[in-house]
Amino acid sequence: MSGFDGVKAAILLFVAAIVQVSIFSQVHMLGGVPDVLLVMLVAVSLLRGSILGAGGGFFAGLLVDTATLGQLGLTSLVLTIAGYWIGRYGETTGRDRAHAPFLSVAVVTVLYSFGLLLVHFVLGERAPAGSVVRGLVPAIVLNLILTAPVYALVRRVLRPLDRGDYATEVQLLG
Amino acid sequence: MVRRLVLAVLVLGALALLTVSFRSPTSGALHDVQGAGATALRPFQVAAQRVARPFRDVYGYFSDLAGAKSENKKLRRELRDARAQANANLASARQAEELKKLMQYEAGASYPQDYRSVNTTVLSYPTSAFAQQVTIAAGSSSGIRINTPIVTADGLIGRVTNVSPHTALVTLLTDPDSNVPARDVTHGVAGLIRHGQGNSLFFDRVAKEQIVKKGDIVVTQGTVDRRYPDLYPYGIPIGRVLNVGTSDIASYLTVQVTPFARFDSLDAVAALISTKKR
Repeated sequence: MSGFDGVKAAILLFVAAIVQVSIFSQVHMLGGVPDVLLVMLVAVSLLRGSILGAGGGFFAGLLVDTATLGQLGLTSLVLTIAGYWIGRYGETTGRDRAHAPFLSVAVVTVLYSFGLLLVHFVLGERAPAGSVVRGLVPAIVLNLILTAPVYALVRRVLRPLDRGDYATEVQLLG
Repeated sequence: MVRRLVLAVLVLGALALLTVSFRSPTSGALHDVQGAGATALRPFQVAAQRVARPFRDVYGYFSDLAGAKSENKKLRRELRDARAQANANLASARQAEELKKLMQYEAGASYPQDYRSVNTTVLSYPTSAFAQQVTIAAGSSSGIRINTPIVTADGLIGRVTNVSPHTALVTLLTDPDSNVPARDVTHGVAGLIRHGQGNSLFFDRVAKEQIVKKGDIVVTQGTVDRRYPDLYPYGIPIGRVLNVGTSDIASYLTVQVTPFARFDSLDAVAALISTKKR
């Protein structure tokens, strides 16, 4: 992994964040909203591991909170953890698995929604669990639709790493 | 080890930002930095909007086409009613003006005469189900302040709750924290506009003895007591009463209001800046 990869990942996440807050957040389909930024973060984390995943999540969250004049750090906190977790999955059991991006996107969509819900609840703000749950299934479907093209794009920009670059704490057998 | 350290540093950084931002959301050094960041991001957001606009217009064209015939019929009916109402209002307005002069009545800022509008575009839309807020492409450099009312050509959409030099955050009427003192102009009943399911609104705090009917127009109430000036001037259209319900145990009527503004397709909005000195 080179520093240039970090720049490329930052550009991808920057574009995704702008597109998300300016365009995709207004697209209400089937009761859900697609999240291209989350899908992009999953793709970057799977291909470049937990450190870039966590850093990318922090950076992307900061962009969203800045562009929307929201509470700084709120989205960063949840996306940092999401990026790290998916990065770890990509470094260990998820590597070379064709279903890894789809599984990761589905799981992260749920965890991200509940993560935001939890942070809002802890801050004493309105936490509408009902509307979050109602929009969850459509959001998963929409994000899964975005997964294949976004992952293919990120894979073209960030070539998959060699085996030696992956984490060595977990060895896959077979 | 390095991974966990990086994660810990980033999580602590996010928590620190969150703490500072939560304690002073609309002022302070961090808010200024955020404002500068928002200004830097603004051109990219505007560019994204411009790229998306043709696609949105095509989608809007075809979705509007489906209901165009019935909507045309409804609008013709509304226009006929509005013309009749305008003629009736003209005589009343002249009479009211004369009475004001006679009584040396000192009014507060009234809409739209005492306001100039800053027309701008919406930069970003609600990113989650937690808040109904949009960001607009004009800020304090255009005269926008916190609590500045924001309208579309159809009616009120909300007020500014955070502002930077070139962008501002608008909390919509559909936000659960939004409460707008309002008046049913048809029957002169006062109440409070609150969010309902989806994009609908509720005209709350209307006693059961009061009369509110389907089709009544609801507008902002404006300042009633000079000691407690309202954020909104009198007369900004909000919506039309959709239905009125009541129950034996409730103290108030359940009045559902359909907003005039379309919250799901906000594009161009106007900030109302008072030109009258308080």
